[in-house]
Amino acid sequence: MKGTWVAGTRVTAIDAAEKTTGQTKYLQDLRLPGLLVGKVLRSPHPHARLRRVSAERARRVPGVRAVVTGADTPGIKFGIVIPDEWALAVDRVLYVGDEVAAVAAVDEEAAREALALIEVEYEPLPPVFDVEEALRPGAPRLHDDKPGNLATGFLIDRGDVDQAFRESDVLLGGTYRTQMQHQGNLEPICCMAEYAGGRLTLWGPLQSPFLARQYLLAKPLGLSEGQVRIIQTPVGGAFGGKLDEKHYLICALLALHAGRPVRLANSYAEELTTTRPRMPAILRIKSGWSKAGMLRAKQVEVLADNGAYSSLSPSILSSMAMRTDSLYRTPAARVDAKLVYTNNLPSGQMRGFGNPQATFAWESHIDEVAEALGMDPVELRLRNATEAGDVTVHGWEIASCGLKECIAKAAEGIGWKEQRANRVPNRGVGLACTIHVTSNKPFATSITGYEFDGSSALVKVEEDGQVFVATGEVDLGEGVTTTLALIAAEELGVPLAQVRVLQVDTDSVPYGLGTYASRTTFMGGHAVRLAAADAKRQLFELAADLLEANVADLEAREGRIAVRGAPERGIAVAEVARAGMSRGRPMIVGRGTYESQARMQDVTHKYGNQTLTYSFACQAVEVEVDPETGRVRVLRVVAAHDLGRAINPVGAEGQIEGGVVQAVGLALSEELQQREGRIRNPGFLDYKIPSVLDATRVESILVETIDPHGPYGAKGVAETAINPGAAAIANAVYHAVGVRVRELPLTAENVRAALGRADG
Amino acid sequence: MAKQLITLTVNGARYETAVGPRTSLLSLLREGLELTGTKQACAEGECGACSVVLDGRLVMSCLIFAVEADGRQLTTIEGLSEGATLHPIQAAFVEHGAVQCGFCIPGMIMAASYLLDRNPNPTEEEIRHAIAGNLCRCTGYGKIIKAIAAAAGAG
Repeated sequence: MKGTWVAGTRVTAIDAAEKTTGQTKYLQDLRLPGLLVGKVLRSPHPHARLRRVSAERARRVPGVRAVVTGADTPGIKFGIVIPDEWALAVDRVLYVGDEVAAVAAVDEEAAREALALIEVEYEPLPPVFDVEEALRPGAPRLHDDKPGNLATGFLIDRGDVDQAFRESDVLLGGTYRTQMQHQGNLEPICCMAEYAGGRLTLWGPLQSPFLARQYLLAKPLGLSEGQVRIIQTPVGGAFGGKLDEKHYLICALLALHAGRPVRLANSYAEELTTTRPRMPAILRIKSGWSKAGMLRAKQVEVLADNGAYSSLSPSILSSMAMRTDSLYRTPAARVDAKLVYTNNLPSGQMRGFGNPQATFAWESHIDEVAEALGMDPVELRLRNATEAGDVTVHGWEIASCGLKECIAKAAEGIGWKEQRANRVPNRGVGLACTIHVTSNKPFATSITGYEFDGSSALVKVEEDGQVFVATGEVDLGEGVTTTLALIAAEELGVPLAQVRVLQVDTDSVPYGLGTYASRTTFMGGHAVRLAAADAKRQLFELAADLLEANVADLEAREGRIAVRGAPERGIAVAEVARAGMSRGRPMIVGRGTYESQARMQDVTHKYGNQTLTYSFACQAVEVEVDPETGRVRVLRVVAAHDLGRAINPVGAEGQIEGGVVQAVGLALSEELQQREGRIRNPGFLDYKIPSVLDATRVESILVETIDPHGPYGAKGVAETAINPGAAAIANAVYHAVGVRVRELPLTAENVRAALGRADG
Repeated sequence: MAKQLITLTVNGARYETAVGPRTSLLSLLREGLELTGTKQACAEGECGACSVVLDGRLVMSCLIFAVEADGRQLTTIEGLSEGATLHPIQAAFVEHGAVQCGFCIPGMIMAASYLLDRNPNPTEEEIRHAIAGNLCRCTGYGKIIKAIAAAAGAG
């Protein structure tokens, strides 16, 4: 990377060594004196009235220190956009797994015994599991204030879609269905809480400590933010699942009632049956095109299964319904989106935030359109691709865009022309594209109520020159701490080994929104860059004195500050810092706050930017299909990603490779199967995330468009990595065996059935 | 239920400890012996995160009762590195960017170490089969395979 000295180089992750030795302390490795074990009692019914909950016998079990039921909670409804959930059930339970009561005891056995002794009388009510049935008149109503089980919905018309359809040469429709995919984080959701000295402290692997402090804890407990302290622990995988969870609130309630610290940790069966996996949806698409293959108009109708409660799903619905409209130049668009309550497991956010579902539908559809037009799918995409400088149909201002380059490189990498020209039986190639936000201001504002999307950082230089970086952003394992350290090292001109990034403690680090929407490199990166620049300015002032030089003539590199062009007139950063101890500047602290200055979306009409910049990608895949069994094997993937600029290239590749393989799971094997509201595959034996034998060879191509807004030109990459894979695979399967599967996952069974229909 | 006294050797150190009849080897390691490097993920023998080597066999410690380890030899992740010096497999994982969240990594490295002890020059196919029981959700496995191959080449 030009003009930089450590940013953009291939470095090892700063926290990797400890993880290989087992010394990293995850939540499960921490102990506190007097720590109790928490357990949750859950509803066995998909829909029932609670006639009576009695905890008397449970409370008498030796070793039990607290039993809490709905009656013991502050009675504040929980939920961001739609407060539709109690901390513990009060009058009804709405899904199998709904939390009814919780206990804290000295050991696992006492906790289990107490759970078994909580008496609950249920009056089963008729459930509804299908979104279309739930919308019909007379369907069982889940929430009294939500007639028709419509949690939320919106209708948007941009331009004259009907007129555009009339003027189109080719009109095509299709219905696509996506499943419930679980995040599959190996470390189950867990936390530890203690209430002491009038304050609540919670330890845990959170995605956003400050958001959790505000809306997951302080608000539903009736506390103010400063009465809650969150101490972040290393995250054993999250992928969205650790962003929004009632788990932390229940643990906090137990700690409040027990007067002792409590640990609450999901078993893996609980993880797979009671957390918030990817929202399943039905997407009905219609599009109109000119003969020359130019998109005239696009219409999408989305029916999304909310499950019993809403949590973040209203925002996911927007993302799912609208995001792909900005991938290609779309003159007119209509969106009709509905989020529907059912007695299924509440769905939620997983990496991609609705976009993988939408991208599966739209990018499958694009290949169908290409065939209808008799055009090469690559050519069709290139003709319509969004470009830098565009203002898209929903008002997104595209600051940088490498979509065309991504398409060209992915196609070339997979050998598109040869593979399409020289068919090998049962083998095929396919590709798909994606656009994704880097951060999401409307989403942040919907949670915090503050008009702020950005991040803050402190950079502290110790007397020995060691640099500490403090932000409110967290590393979910993707390596953002290494990226932030690289940025601090770059700005201060110190070696990476001299920089440490603090684990978040909300009592002592500045404000940050946390890790979601592929935002931390961009937002946290800017904040660290500014804070480091502020620290550097202070170091330069000291160094100028020591070197008898002008501040303006100094530069910092490789741990030294020197006069530009005269490296012999230089001094180590450590010496400058130590000299500062006696010159009124003990431990220099630089501060930085970055706020996104995007012209933002009008919330009512959803028109305008969601963020300052957008990432793009195209992934091309080669598959082999066994026509006898229907089994699909992904032979290789070429993933070309416009990430602006790779500050941490090894980390960026890791994001792409990991995202691609998660998409292989989404495409081929992963589905939480619900029958009558019960998850039938609550373990990794039946819920199949890809093992190394299912994983594929991934070639990452980093397309650096140098975004004008990003830190050093960087944009997000985490979510573009998972968005296009499922469509690319479905397109390749079509190329291989000529069957179009419009429903995920493409299990052997589903592909074989489609082949059977094609034969018949 | 009555506890039973067992003795076992973990990473060369001898332990004598009382365990319940249903205590898993994983719980004994993590809670009884405070060797928390071995991770608990699914606890049902489906993910490999808790892999350790028991008398020369790679096992998932969540599936074994602590009492079964009586009189036996164990190696856990804590037994691989020597002081501050990483084992070559650990160093290769760091070097090749094979570590993201890290939760699967101790188990993954135990599986790799078990492989390389028996087969110092494995093919890529042999590496894949050796870690087929270890799930990783972050990396997509590519850099893990490269790291193990590099560690084999270095050794």
